[in-house]
Amino acid sequence: MRFMGIIPQLVVNSIIAGAIYSMIALGFNMIYGATKFFNLAHGVMAAVGGYVVFFLTHSFGLSVWISVVIGVLAAGGFGVLTDVLVYQPLRRRQASQLILLVASLGVFTVLQALIAMIFTSQFKTLSIGNGVQQTYNLFGGIITTTQIVLVLCAVGCTMGLLILLNKTRFGRAIKAVSDDEEVARIVGINTDRIVRWLFFIGSAISGLGGILVGYDTGIEPTMGLALLLGGVVGSIIGGIGTIGGAFVGSFLLGFIENFGIWHISGEWKSAIAYTVLILFLIFRPRGILKK
Amino acid sequence: MKILKIQNISKHFEGVHALSKLSFEIEKGVITSVVGPNGAGKTTLMNVLTGMETFDNGTFVVGDIPLTKVKPREMPMYRIARTFQSVRLFEQMTVLDNVLVVLTERNILSAIFEKHSKYHEERAFGILKRIGLWEKRNELAENLSYGQRKLLEIGRALAMEPEVYLFDEPFSGLFPEMVKKVKSIMKELREEGKTIVLISHNMEIIRELSDHVIVIESGTFLAEGKPDDVLSRKDVLEAYLGE
Amino acid sequence: MEYIIHLAILTSIFAILGIGLNLVVGYTGLLSVAHAAFYGIGSYATAIFMKSFGVNFFIALLIGIIFSAIASFLIGLVLSRFKDDYYALASLGFNIIVWSIFLNWQSVTRGPLGIPAIGRPELFGFVFSENIFFLILSLIFVALVFGVSVFIGNSSFGRVLKAIREDEKAIQVFGYNTQMYKLTIFVIGAVLASVAGSLYATYITFIDPTAFNVMESVFVLSIIILGGLANLKGSVIGALFLILLPELLRFVGFPSDVAAQMRQLVYGLLLVLLMLYRPQGLMGEYKL
Repeated sequence: MRFMGIIPQLVVNSIIAGAIYSMIALGFNMIYGATKFFNLAHGVMAAVGGYVVFFLTHSFGLSVWISVVIGVLAAGGFGVLTDVLVYQPLRRRQASQLILLVASLGVFTVLQALIAMIFTSQFKTLSIGNGVQQTYNLFGGIITTTQIVLVLCAVGCTMGLLILLNKTRFGRAIKAVSDDEEVARIVGINTDRIVRWLFFIGSAISGLGGILVGYDTGIEPTMGLALLLGGVVGSIIGGIGTIGGAFVGSFLLGFIENFGIWHISGEWKSAIAYTVLILFLIFRPRGILKK
Repeated sequence: MKILKIQNISKHFEGVHALSKLSFEIEKGVITSVVGPNGAGKTTLMNVLTGMETFDNGTFVVGDIPLTKVKPREMPMYRIARTFQSVRLFEQMTVLDNVLVVLTERNILSAIFEKHSKYHEERAFGILKRIGLWEKRNELAENLSYGQRKLLEIGRALAMEPEVYLFDEPFSGLFPEMVKKVKSIMKELREEGKTIVLISHNMEIIRELSDHVIVIESGTFLAEGKPDDVLSRKDVLEAYLGE
Repeated sequence: MEYIIHLAILTSIFAILGIGLNLVVGYTGLLSVAHAAFYGIGSYATAIFMKSFGVNFFIALLIGIIFSAIASFLIGLVLSRFKDDYYALASLGFNIIVWSIFLNWQSVTRGPLGIPAIGRPELFGFVFSENIFFLILSLIFVALVFGVSVFIGNSSFGRVLKAIREDEKAIQVFGYNTQMYKLTIFVIGAVLASVAGSLYATYITFIDPTAFNVMESVFVLSIIILGGLANLKGSVIGALFLILLPELLRFVGFPSDVAAQMRQLVYGLLLVLLMLYRPQGLMGEYKL
């Protein structure tokens, strides 16, 4: 059983990576589903969440729980802000997807720069105390408390969203907007409001992801880009625009990345992820799951 | 002489059969109208004939060349040019450029080094004068009126100097003066021995212009013949009333 | 005065980058976020061949061009299957892959350590070690690049590129092999980026992967959007603007580490504001 030694850890790592990416991918997919544009600023909301919590716990000494809640809400709030200030006005003018994409590049750059200016570019960790965590042994793979929380949150958010979409009136409205915004508006749905809610929920989940990553490894201003790209690749692999796709794709990516670097150096992770992205874009742009 | 033969062409989209074993023939040098109720497959037929969409089965015979696959960029080779129902101009380019781009070299190297050729400009001016857009030549296409845009579409097709013209709803939304102009251009083309395939909903114009009418319904051939005969047939009228 | 020369050289380098990207994005409508990859390939090729093989700058420049041309041909082939935002996304992916290679292929690129002491260009014994001479060299390159690009842009080929941007499927039916046109201009853009990369490597005489990441591609994109898509003069003006603006901020008194972030902030803000209020940029020729 010696050769099995590393596999359980790889599996655990894959699951953790998948959980992280899915937290970003969920919101990204929801926003894409409704507005049909790639919001490249989405990853920064994770950083926002992480830094708000950092600020509150380190500068105000607020308790972890309160800080996290505020952090999540703040990330959601920023998401809505970007929609109200930038995307909504552009959508009203029937701006093309490319304009929205370029605008989101701008938003991403601005927010990332602001964070770096306020908090410096240094890597910081969110962990309280001496940073040593309780670990558990899962069939040979080590996992920390934070990481378990991460996975549980990822699963929880996904299930929560699935229930929201499929079992509530609000969810039906979201689906209507995603299918055809024109028609939804004609039918009387306040599409702008729905989109704002999607930005809120999606960015909040992203923020939660960032916070948990902060507790797991740490935060730095550029974390948004790496997380975003993981989320984007996961979304596309799984099937862009769907919740289930975001979830499945992210975990698939987690596995591909971690098993992909099994025999080669870990720094090639990004290259592997994007090669996978491009392969999927070429051969299966609709993603793994059939609609 | 049959310049274009459509033989058992079928095309489906996500389970819906847009074209079902459609077959008919186009005579050279005359104006043939293709009519039918909405959704009959007329535009799909044009898209498929020009390679803008693929088709599942069947053969096109262009001249005497049978084709089971068509690529859009082969259109000059087959001497076919078309206009679009939804007017697909190059919006942020000038009227002159819209025509020039059809006249210039297709080969990349030649296109880079082609000198600003008087020959092309003169031909472009000739076409613009013919369709009455010469004064607007430096105007951006997106700033033209609707009627002028439809004229420019036709101008582009003229620039191709094809044997076969496919006009998709060239009259829709035009004011009477424009209609007159387009009708006279088509008559001139017929005089020149060109073949025209015309899709239109305007029965009056069809009766006036067409030498031959082909009726399509639900992607299949329904009837053909002289305009007055075909358009008063019971089954044709029913097809239209049913829509 | 030295400072102004320095800014002028940087402006030249980024003007070349902007002009090249403008041909791809502004004329042809391909939203490529991969430009920094070819900038980097030119830089690294030049640096490596000059240092390890003692090759003359001008030859190394040509070698860089060849590498960029090959890479862009292959990448362009894959990219030409994509449309619009998927194109942007895939090009982003390629930028990251190439950057990742710069970072991780340590045996060749020395990874994060970068390549130092590259040396200035030399021609028949004359070394361009004085910045003023380097500036003259750069300006000559800018003029060449500008001239070539204007020629291409105003040719029949350039007109077809614009038609592809406006409606690719429509221009196809008039007999054009649009895939080849797109591939050709992508390679041309990459070659021009490579030239800028070679200049950059021998000016700063030190390169590392951070100069060729995604943010750099976004920066060049800001330049051409600010200047005006499909307007080559605009790209030069845009480069001037975006290089100078942060320097002005430094005079206002921001500490230098904040200044770097301030620069990013300004670029980002500019992109957003341009999209909202003036997508046609300064020279106002084409609206995205």
